[in-house]
Amino acid sequence: MAIKTKSKVKKTRVKKTSPVPRKRQRKPTPRKKSGWLRRSLRLLLLLLGLGIGLGAPWVIWLDKQVRTEFDGRKWDIPSRVYARPLSLYTGKPISIQSLVLELNATGYRQVQSAAMPGSYARNGNHIDINRRAFIFDDGVESAVIFRLHISENKILSMSSPPGGRDPGLLRLDPAEIASIYPLHDEDRTLVALTDVPEMLVTGLQAVEDRQFKHHRGVVLRSIARALLTNIKAGKTVQGGSTLTQQLVKNYFLSSERTMVRKGNEAIMAFLLEWHYDKARILEAYINEIFLGQQGKRAIHGFGRAAEFYFGRPLQNLEAEHFALLIGMVRGASFYNPRRNPQRAMQRRNRVLDIFGTTGLMSENEVKIAKTRPLGVIDDPPPASSRYPAFMDMVRRQLKRDYRSDDLSNEGLKIFTTLAPSEQEFAQQAVSGGLDQLQQRGLPADLQGALVMAETASGEVRALVGDRVAGRRGFNRALDARRQIGSVIKPLVYLLALEHSGDYTLVTPIRDEPITLRQASGEIWSPVNYDHKSHGELPLMDALVHSYNQAAVQVGLKIGVNNLIRKVRQLGVEAKIPAVPATLLGAVELTPVEVAQMYQSLAAGGYSVPLRSVTAVLTQQGRLLSRYPLRMLPLDHREAVALLNFALVRVIEQGTARSLHALLGNNSLIAGKTGTTNERRDSWFVGYTRDRVAVSWVGRDDNRPAGVTGGNAAMRVWAEFFRHLPVSGVDLGLPDGASYVWVNVPQNALTDPSCPDAVQIPFVNGTEPQAKTRCLVRLSRKNRK
Amino acid sequence: MNKIPLVCVLSVLAACSNNPSTRVEDREINARVRIPASQDSAGVQVYSLQNPAVKQLTAQARDAEREGDLGRASSYLERALGIQPRDPQLLQHMAEIKLQNGDYQQALSFAVRSYDIGPRVGEICSRNWRTISVAKEHLQDSHGADDAASRALQCMNIRPQGL
Repeated sequence: MAIKTKSKVKKTRVKKTSPVPRKRQRKPTPRKKSGWLRRSLRLLLLLLGLGIGLGAPWVIWLDKQVRTEFDGRKWDIPSRVYARPLSLYTGKPISIQSLVLELNATGYRQVQSAAMPGSYARNGNHIDINRRAFIFDDGVESAVIFRLHISENKILSMSSPPGGRDPGLLRLDPAEIASIYPLHDEDRTLVALTDVPEMLVTGLQAVEDRQFKHHRGVVLRSIARALLTNIKAGKTVQGGSTLTQQLVKNYFLSSERTMVRKGNEAIMAFLLEWHYDKARILEAYINEIFLGQQGKRAIHGFGRAAEFYFGRPLQNLEAEHFALLIGMVRGASFYNPRRNPQRAMQRRNRVLDIFGTTGLMSENEVKIAKTRPLGVIDDPPPASSRYPAFMDMVRRQLKRDYRSDDLSNEGLKIFTTLAPSEQEFAQQAVSGGLDQLQQRGLPADLQGALVMAETASGEVRALVGDRVAGRRGFNRALDARRQIGSVIKPLVYLLALEHSGDYTLVTPIRDEPITLRQASGEIWSPVNYDHKSHGELPLMDALVHSYNQAAVQVGLKIGVNNLIRKVRQLGVEAKIPAVPATLLGAVELTPVEVAQMYQSLAAGGYSVPLRSVTAVLTQQGRLLSRYPLRMLPLDHREAVALLNFALVRVIEQGTARSLHALLGNNSLIAGKTGTTNERRDSWFVGYTRDRVAVSWVGRDDNRPAGVTGGNAAMRVWAEFFRHLPVSGVDLGLPDGASYVWVNVPQNALTDPSCPDAVQIPFVNGTEPQAKTRCLVRLSRKNRK
Repeated sequence: MNKIPLVCVLSVLAACSNNPSTRVEDREINARVRIPASQDSAGVQVYSLQNPAVKQLTAQARDAEREGDLGRASSYLERALGIQPRDPQLLQHMAEIKLQNGDYQQALSFAVRSYDIGPRVGEICSRNWRTISVAKEHLQDSHGADDAASRALQCMNIRPQGL
């Protein structure tokens, strides 16, 4: 551009100088002068006519472009997806490790003194947190500084300000876990001019365009000055563009440097100023200007740049941060503070000097600001989610209510249920757990999945769909449809216990060989895992030891169709074959479906749909939809309570009895292992009072993998729960059931002081009628 | 005189738009659930221990309820249930919010859950059954509603399990 400008200047000079010698040669007569004037006038009129004739339509066309684009301009704003906000209160069970993981996931910086929002300082068991202001799904909360004292995995005390009163309840702003981007890959967080800090508004003008308030889009003097400087330098070293011209360039034009484009830019800038006020132009500029690149995604506007570089909203930036961003307007790549920190620092300090000379900051403030580091966070918010498997679930839930265009263009705020620390532990348990299994001689190509939800709310806190963290692709938690084996058995026994007149936990069941002819004509003779039959035994023990023949005996009596109905009732809609093998888990379900099925049991007979999204807000914070907790009580909740009692025994005495040792915790846990034919699949479903989790291990191609419920999936589950607070399962009984002292082998009532007395829950009226001799003797004695 | 028919028409229209037959007014909650339950509460009372965080959220829910913002009240209670998911008072409060919101199925569910894990005696028990009764009435289950109403009266007589 500089060269072309030069040649043009030369030509003009030639034209201007050519008449001079003629003037010296002849003295012009008045008549001749008037002829010359007339000719010049004619030429001028001709040029004017040509100008109007050709230029006016061009300007009109540009004007139309400017107005159409600017009026109709609607930025496509990506939706932001947030984790659940972490609630903090005195007494909350949480380890320092979990809290630090949560703070890091939320982009908090560890510092010496938590003076700035978005930072924390740790001193032994005390953590000071300067919580950022945030628009939560139920309202705005301003920044707050508080101190936590954590000991023995619990918040012992909380004070705000540190050392002050207990604020009762606080929550961290949630981690941004993903964005849903528009197709053109522009990333932007829209800010209204009224929300833009004054320092940015004035600082930007001080550095880029001091005449902004007064000019009409173009400042000819600046252009001329820039032109002169560029000519002198022989290259482009100074831009004479106003903010309006820069906006026009970003908005309407390509970045090619030609005179025509420059001319268009000036005309359009003038037209923009003609039609729109300064505030609107400045707001558009602040949201449009290019400030960085993240992979294939362009960072536009100061709002997103603040989050991208400093991990905080624009409103929470300090002077030196504004200086850096304003400095980057000149060249976002050239002054990229992550790649070229020294260059960025020099530029920032230069801008700070301008802040000083223009009176925006005092000399002393500039001096202090210059000593500060760039303050750029190491990990920008993820360009694509760190948790792709969980995001699959979020997308599927949102798809029911939102069009994909709305999700990627409208800047929605999506609040999810993910707990970043628990997700981290879950992924570590799968990745690390499978590595360990490999070391123990299991195949190297094992894959795994893990789903964990809160029992009462159905909120999914962690979801792992691949052995490798962050890997996209096949999501085993949602899509791996595998036989579930013995994981189905509790439902067989639940149905039996619902027929309380026929079955109690101590009803004798026969575990003996059974042969069935299937619809295909094939003969089916199920065997037990140990290839033995165990004869008559109490229903509870048949479940605890997961005997196949006993389960088939009971299942045939209750009916396969009833079992299928029960699975549906528990929220699973998958296709299930109505064949006897279904009784032993020849049913293909996904881990998330299994989690849904067991949620109702873990919650004591209350079915709650698993949720990954709790609320959706507009960009401005207006609530669009809320997905509240909804529950449905199942019939026969007393049977569920009985079943839970038996499932605790699975861990205490049954197929999962090594769990406590793996976990290093003796709390009451209920669970069930599952293994499929030829050891292809390993399942473990376990629940504490507050959390239900399903773990699956197997091979993608369904080849035998040498895994059993106990040797693989349960280990992964235990590794996960070792990092979580574990509260024992509540074995309280609902209305209609009571604990009774019985002698199980005799199937008779007894007294706690008698031999072999155990307390077992029964549906009222179904207790054994018989009494042990010991009880009879004691009763007589008491009567006497 | 001419205004009277117009007023009547407007009243009818307003009545239709508000659909009062499908919503339980806060007056009704007080008259049919809270006040009689508190009057019943002469006998044994069992209340769960609430931590300060839950108390704070409950108070916020009450304020929102007084302001008629049932959505916000429900959201505060849900947060509180996130902290103490097995608190019968919270579950019952949620049931009453659902009742006022016209969500009778959920009112029923929360009240039943509150009863299941609650003390099954005293004021909270009475509120459980009175809520169940009103919800069933609105769900056109008059037999169930009568049955629940009579269960509310027994809350003072039945010895709770474990006591």
